[in-house]
Order: sequence, then structure tokens, then C-alpha cells
Amino acid sequence: MTDQTNNTGFDWASPSFQSHMKKRRRSQIQLKLLGLGAIAIAFMMLMLLITSLVSTGYHAFTQTHLKVEVFLDPEHLDPAKPARGNYRQILTDTMKTQFPDVPDDRAELRKLTSILSNGAQFTIRDRVMENPDLIGETVQFNVPVADTYDQLNKGLIDPDTPEEYRRLKNDEIANFELLKDRGAITEPLNTALLTNADSRFPELAGLKGALVGSFYALLTCFLLSFPLGIGAAIYLEEFAPRNRVSDLIEININNLAAVPSVVFGLLALAVFLGWFGMPRSAPFVGGMTLALMTLPTIIIATRAALKAVPPSIREAALAVGASKQQVVFGHVLPLAMPGILTGTIIGLAQALGETAPLLLIGMNAFITSAPSTPFDSATALPTQIFIWADSPERGFVSRTSAAILVLLTFLIMMNAIAIFLRQKFERKW
Amino acid sequence: MTMFDVTKPETAVDQTDIKIAASNVQVFYGDTQAIKDVDVDIQDKTVTAFIGPSGCGKSTFLRCLNRMNDTIDSCRVEGRILLDEQDIYAPQVDPVQLRAKVGMVFQKPNPFPKSIYDNVAYGPKIHGMARTKGELDEVVEKSLRRAALWEEVKDRLDTPGTGLSGGQQQRLCIARAVATRPEVLLMDEPCSALDPIATAQVEELIDELKQRFSVVIVTHSMQQAARVSQKTAFFHLGNLVEYDDTNTIFTNPQDPRTESYITGRIG
Ligand SMILES: Nc1ncnc2c1ncn2[C@@H]1O[C@H](COP(=O)(O)OP(=O)(O)OP(=O)(O)O)[C@@H](O)[C@H]1O
Ligand SMILES: [Mg+2]
Repeated sequence: MTDQTNNTGFDWASPSFQSHMKKRRRSQIQLKLLGLGAIAIAFMMLMLLITSLVSTGYHAFTQTHLKVEVFLDPEHLDPAKPARGNYRQILTDTMKTQFPDVPDDRAELRKLTSILSNGAQFTIRDRVMENPDLIGETVQFNVPVADTYDQLNKGLIDPDTPEEYRRLKNDEIANFELLKDRGAITEPLNTALLTNADSRFPELAGLKGALVGSFYALLTCFLLSFPLGIGAAIYLEEFAPRNRVSDLIEININNLAAVPSVVFGLLALAVFLGWFGMPRSAPFVGGMTLALMTLPTIIIATRAALKAVPPSIREAALAVGASKQQVVFGHVLPLAMPGILTGTIIGLAQALGETAPLLLIGMNAFITSAPSTPFDSATALPTQIFIWADSPERGFVSRTSAAILVLLTFLIMMNAIAIFLRQKFERKW
Repeated sequence: MTMFDVTKPETAVDQTDIKIAASNVQVFYGDTQAIKDVDVDIQDKTVTAFIGPSGCGKSTFLRCLNRMNDTIDSCRVEGRILLDEQDIYAPQVDPVQLRAKVGMVFQKPNPFPKSIYDNVAYGPKIHGMARTKGELDEVVEKSLRRAALWEEVKDRLDTPGTGLSGGQQQRLCIARAVATRPEVLLMDEPCSALDPIATAQVEELIDELKQRFSVVIVTHSMQQAARVSQKTAFFHLGNLVEYDDTNTIFTNPQDPRTESYITGRIG
């Protein structure tokens, strides 16, 4: 168009319109930058968290081991009762042969055996119990070293600090260096972190008890909150009459979702442990407590998912003569399932990371074996992190970070499943 | 003679049977009245068209006939509607069973997100109309043939019904509605999403369906009303203004509002 104005009488090229356009464009760019900035800051925070966790936690993913030839002296072992042998003495003898120059003195010998983890004797005992024929032979073992030596090997103990401030004295360092020069020191992947239960000794401490405890707690939580939550949501959304009472229930459920988790812990302590006398520290009770918190989340998510099913589908089913129940279970619920599952997984992920209520029902007890049933005492991942973070031993610093990384991995996995489900079952109508 | 082609010969079927008799029907949404004092007798084996400007209550009245309005909390229906001399709002009537007898096709195609086969088979299945898989297959094929869709989909009955084109979806919905062998078929603007070819197919189908059913169709197209229906009801602001033979309505309307509407002055 050559003419400045068109037949509508509006001048698209006028300076006032141009400046209006410019303003609109500018505010759009500003909004975009603001969004980008917010994402960048969030991303930086996340990176900071991960970097700090990885930089302290990676030490815990390996564990220094000592490779030694152990003579399974029949003098200290009874083939009939391999469990009752004097393994401590066998280890002392082993270390003595490793350091023939060290004087045969109780204190010196204790120093040598303290290079080994306290768990070394159990490693040997387990092997002998498995195969008592080994008694009398010399067998090679790869046993974890004690935490302080592990720290030394990982360069976390500075040999330049004055001896009196150091946790390892010069002669102890020299002994370790000797073993290292012989090539007896290895640093394999720390599988014990996942396969051992908790221990007082950092080099032996693992997350198995916590993982199993968390699994049982989440399972209980899921089995309770999923059917109950869906049932309640279906009733409220599809069948309940809309009146004062249902409004009141709705408001209360929304409030329940916002109640601090510590309150649920107190409730569980008073009701489950106090009135019903359920066992302390049991993952089953932990799961029940977590279910109290997850229930409103699942109800809200389910109701939203049910509401999102287009009314046309309901009408279609009703119009061919389906009953209300057939409409809900045959059409609405299947279509709402992805939303429900996503909400449930997010609720469970929240429950997995929840600490406070579990502390209150005693799931922060020191327990050195993994629970074999949901009713045995156990810890959970977050409470285990809490315990380790509270422990004075240096080895627990990196193990705390490692445990957090394990927890984060599970959370990421659960959220990934939620996203996968959402995309897989993306609304198809 | 008007611009509408109403010279179609009247069908020879007996049209005096009254299928649905509505008298003194009032419908309220909360406090606002959407339908006022409507009396209408819908004949068996006849196509009845509801016409009228947008918002005049055509859909509302149509939905009274199979009690779909029950699903709207705020909606209240008064008056009497008899289906085969039986009050459909009587307490002993089960709306679920009623809706199997009075089928409905909606303005927007709404197939279930299931396979084409399952879409059509759903009604017969829940009503226990087919005892064997073979019987069910037969019902599905017959219904799809009636809806003029069989040839297009017979090789992909297990693909999702939502994957069809809009017009095919609407015909699928019609097949689904006729599969339960209803006695009355209510159609709320069934062709508003269809192209002229699909529209022609649906109209042909309606013409065929009236051999067995009583068909009530809401439409905004007066050409369509003139083409497919034998009776026409004109609604205006919740009132049934005029109800007569389609021929009469389009050639010799009694009410000035009807005349203004069909000549395009209101609506
Ligand atoms: N669910 C509802 N709640 C409240 N009011 C409604 C509801 N459905 C319809 N109405 C009102 O009832 C009146 C009649 O609506 P209806 O849908 O029956 O009109 P219609 O004749 O089908 O119009 P259209 O041709 O546009 O489909 C309108 O005024 C509308 O606003
Ligand atoms: Mg309508």
C-alpha cells in the first residue's frame, strides 16, 4: 500500500503507533530475559548443590583396601565351630608377618592391627564359615582399612601438619607407606556403601538398612495412600453431593496438604505408638505416617486429573446408557490414570525425602542390620543422612554427601518415571 | 415457493403414532428459565427438526428427552414427558435404561479414546445385547454400515476411533448410538463439524434411520431442516413458537417470528 492511511482510517505507520509497537516488543524481550535469568539462577543453584555434594561425596565411592596373605592358623580355629575362632589373633599374626621389623610389643602390634578395619575379622570369619576346609591354609584377603588410613590414602590427612595435631603419627604413616610401596594397597569401588548396613566404623557403614527401610516405608505408604486417595477422590469428585459438607471436606483436604510434616510425626507418635502401641522405628509405622502426608497430595492430584477428563467423554458414555459407575471406572478413571500416577509418584518422591516425621517415630535409631520385615527397626535414607551428618568420624562427612547423592538419584529416577508416564499417556482425545 | 426445496414426496409410513408426548415442560438452570411451557408431540418413524436462534433452548429441550439434563446439578425439569405413554421422569424410571432406548449424537464428535470396534461395541456390551463375540461382531458391522462408515474402516477396526477425521468420527458416534438399537435418536447439530459430502452422507443416513426410529435433529441450517425433516419445531427465547409440518413451516408460517427467522431476519 502506498497510501499512509488505509480505508479504516487508522494510520499503521504513524509515529505513535510505531512507538506503541516498540514498547510492546521491548516488554516482550524484557519478560523473556527475566525468565531466562530466573532459569539461569535456578540452574546455578542446582549446579552449586551437585558440585559441592560430588566434591565431598566422591571420596566415599571408593574404599581403601589392604591385600594380605592370611594364615588360617588351626591353633586359633576349631573346624567344628568356625564361628567361635580367635580371628583377632589371626589378624595380629598376619600383621606381624607383614612387619617383621616391628618389635613384638603389645602397643606396637595394636597399632599395626588398627590399620585394618574392625570389620576385617568378620570378612575372614565369613569366608571360613563358608568353607571350613580352608583352615590351615594361607588365603589371600582384600580387607578394608580403617577410616583414618582410608583418609590418609585419599590425601585427606596432610603429613605436613605438626605431628601432635595429626590423627596419624609419623610411624603409623611410615607403616602404611611401606604397605603402599609393596603394592598391597588398593582402592576399589565402595560397594559396601550399598550392601552394608549402618556401622560405627565409617569404612564399614553402608546404606542397605536405610534403603530397605525406605523401600518398606514407601511400599506401606503407597499401599495405604494410593487406594485410599483414589477412592476418596473418586467419591468426592464423582459421587458426593455438592453441599456445605463436601465444601468443608475439600477445604480440609487442601489444608492437610499444607500441614508441616513434623505435625504428622507428632500425630503418629501419639496415635500409632502411644495409643496403638506399634513398634518404634518400624518402617511400617513410618510408611503409615508418610501415608498421612501423601494422602492429601494424591487426593488433590486425582481430583484434578478426574476433572481434566473432558465432559464430552462422560456424556458420550452416559448417552449410550452407561451407569455412573460404568462411566467412572470404564472411561474417566483410565483417562485420568496418567495424571493420577504422576501425582502419586511426586507424592511418593516427597515422602521419600521426608525426615522430620520419621525422626519423631524413632527411625533414626542406630541399627546395624537391614530390616528383614517392615516391622523390624530400621532407618530410612533421609534419617540415615541425618545420623551420619551428626557423627563425629571424619569418614562420615563424605559418606553423608554420598548418601545424599544416592537419595537424589532415587528422587530423580522417580520424577523421570513421572515425566515418562505423563508423556507416554499424553491426553489422546 | 421459497428458496428451500421442500418438494420431497412425503413418505408413505404411518405418521400418526406419537412416540414422545411432552406437555407443559419447563426447564430451569438455577433461577433462570431456559424452556417455557413447551408442548410437543413427536411422531414415530419421523424426522423432527428443532430450529431457532442460538441460545433459544433447542439443546436444552433435546436433552430433556433422554434425561441428560440430570447430569447438570443446577438444572431442573418440570412438566410431563411421555415416551410410549410412560412418564420418563417418573421415579421408577431408570435414566440409564431410558438412555439406551433414546440414543443421542452430540454436536461435537466425541468418540471414546478406544478402538473403532470398542466404540461401537460398548453400548451392546454394557446392555448385554450380544451373547457371543460373533453376535457382537455382527452388531458392530451392521451399525457401521448404517452409519455409512463400514467401507472406510473395516480394515482398521482396532485402530483408535480418535484417529479418524472429524466427519468419520461423527459417523462413528452415530454408529455407536444406533448400535444399542434405540427407539428414538436425538441429534444435536450432528453436521456442524462436517463438510458438505459428509453432511450429505449423514442426511442420507437420517433418511434411512427414520424407517425404524423416530429421529429428532437440532440444526442451524434451514436447508437441512427442509431436506431431512417431516416436522419442524421453531423455538424462540425458550418458547416453542410454532410446530407443524416442515412444508407448512417453510411455506406458510403462522407466526411472524417464524417467518422472520426463516427468511433470515432474526437469529
Ligand atoms: N449448563 C447450563 N447452565 C446454565 N445455563 C445454561 C446451561 N446450558 C444452557 N444454558 C442456558 O440455557 C439457554 C438455552 O441454551 P441451549 O444450549 O439449549 O441453546 P441452543 O438453542 O442449543 O443454542 P445453540 O444453537 O447455540 O446450541 C441459554 O440461555 C444458555 O445460556
Ligand atoms: Mg445447542
